[in-house]
Amino acid sequence: MTFWHRFAARVSGLRVRLLLAFALLGVTTTAVVASGSYIQARKVILQQAQDAAVVSLTDQLTKVYPIAQLPPTQDELDLLAQRLSDREGFAVVVYRDMRSQGSLTPDPLTAELRQEVGERHIAWQRVSLDGQPTLLIGTELMLDRSDGTSRPSGLQVYSVRSLLPEQQSIDRLATLAWLTGALSLALAVLLALLAARGVLRPVRDLGRAARRLGEGDLTTRLTVRGVDELADVARTFNDTAGTLERQVGELRRMESDARRFVADVSHELRTPLAAMTAVTDVLDEEADHLPGDAGRAARLVSQETQNLTQLVNDLIEVSRFDSGTARLALDDVDVAAAVTATLRIRGWADRVRAELPPGVVARLDPRRLDVIVANLVGNAFRHGAEPVSVRMSADPDWVTVEVADRGPGLDPEVLPHVFDRFYKADTARTRSEGSGLGLAISWENARLHRHGERRGTLVAGNGPGGGAIFTLRLPRDTTDAGGAR
Amino acid sequence: MTGRRIVRALLAGGLLLPTLVAAGCGVRPSGVITGRSAVSGPAQGVGVYLIGQGELALVLRPAKVAPPLADVLALLAAGPEENERRQGLTSEVPAGLDPVTVTSAPDQSDGLTVRTTTTARALSENAVDQIVCTVADAAAQTGQTKSFVPVTIVGPDGARSPRRCPIG
Repeated sequence: MTFWHRFAARVSGLRVRLLLAFALLGVTTTAVVASGSYIQARKVILQQAQDAAVVSLTDQLTKVYPIAQLPPTQDELDLLAQRLSDREGFAVVVYRDMRSQGSLTPDPLTAELRQEVGERHIAWQRVSLDGQPTLLIGTELMLDRSDGTSRPSGLQVYSVRSLLPEQQSIDRLATLAWLTGALSLALAVLLALLAARGVLRPVRDLGRAARRLGEGDLTTRLTVRGVDELADVARTFNDTAGTLERQVGELRRMESDARRFVADVSHELRTPLAAMTAVTDVLDEEADHLPGDAGRAARLVSQETQNLTQLVNDLIEVSRFDSGTARLALDDVDVAAAVTATLRIRGWADRVRAELPPGVVARLDPRRLDVIVANLVGNAFRHGAEPVSVRMSADPDWVTVEVADRGPGLDPEVLPHVFDRFYKADTARTRSEGSGLGLAISWENARLHRHGERRGTLVAGNGPGGGAIFTLRLPRDTTDAGGAR
Repeated sequence: MTGRRIVRALLAGGLLLPTLVAAGCGVRPSGVITGRSAVSGPAQGVGVYLIGQGELALVLRPAKVAPPLADVLALLAAGPEENERRQGLTSEVPAGLDPVTVTSAPDQSDGLTVRTTTTARALSENAVDQIVCTVADAAAQTGQTKSFVPVTIVGPDGARSPRRCPIG
């Protein structure tokens, strides 16, 4: 199938089509011209040979006259035939039933020729005699009357001569025609190749440039040669690429401005937040001693300050991903132990059903694994329903961690946006307990792990028995410590 | 679409070439080609028409000068000579035709009249043709009349209707 497609593409390719068209044109033209001139030349050659032979025969026949005796004897017939024969051909003389000796067997004379000669005309015919082209000329010998009319004598003379020399010249013509054809075919192919190169090179350049543009190299430009249609296309391509580059540059600048703004704001918020955290820690301790509303207010302020700190930290993390400065701190990690530690630190060890086969060692960033697992399990508790399970499996290339809950699962409409920043599944719930960045950060963290073409993934889905399942897949031997996006 | 077009073009080319090749290389046999009328030349001697295989056949007998018409008919009445008989030539003219006289026809029609003593009506068709052709030919040969003049044979039993020589 693939081979056939490639073959078809090759055959219907511009080069092959041009080649075929030129070759066909050349061959057809040459064939028509060469065969036309060949046929014409053959006609002329044969006609001249025939006419010359007829004239020569009639010249010789004038020497036969006057005829003194009829009927002739056999000797007279033979003598006459002998006199009319030369090295180019021999003659057969016929009188009624008699015919000159030494004539060929089988009889070379055709019935239609004899009939035409019987009508008292000079007649000739080309026949194939023993595979050789032969010319037969025949005439009745007439006798003059004094008033200009003539009467038949009953004597008929036939001249049989080979057309082999003519055949040879005609064959030479044919050879010449074939040679011309071959030459013109070669010329046509050469011209076609040249034309194809002339057309194909700009097209190939255009294709290469378009591919480079598609791969993101917006500085790609074509050299515009000439003033033909292809040059127009190249010019249009350059204009389009230029516009695209300008607009994309503008967009990138705006986006990076916005990101830098967020990063700056986050950084600027850190210092006051640190101070506020210190104050709210004190407030927290005093809250129990404060009466009524004042205590509640103190606890609220403390809680919101913590949330704000979390949000600012998440924003700083996200801005690191966006600016490409996020780096992996790789280590050989026992995945089961790492996940268990994560659960234990958060106090979830008893509430989570964990299936963690021991002894799976992977090279990854343990801090980011902790962030991802904690986020997924935390979400499962917050939005799903217990029991929450964490299952880990591994093959030589990948290590996979599945976090599942028994909740209502994810709405199909929500699924594509689960990893969007600040995406709220429930629009009525304007404030959630999280920052709204958790899954986005987890997703970025997963993608940061890569080994060659293999790249870590985080996928959301629904289990067959209901409940959401988040599947984290990381390459087991992450090598790429770069933060390239 | 394109592929089909290419295939069609190839087919056309492939058909055209063999057709041209089939139009023939080398020298091909032809039909009979007819030229001008047959070669003609002078004859010497006296021409007499005999019968060969049921058809009239011209026989030339050597003679220095052209004899009178009556003598030519006398030669005809004498029948074929030895060598002529050997070649299967016969005559249906009775020996009793001689003596004859040949005169121009009384009307101004350029015709000839042959008077004989034998019965004219009993002559066979071939015999009449022999006489008519021989006498007309001989008369034309000497320039006495044109070719194909009508000839009337008159015998004691009456005259046959004028007749022209069927060959010429």
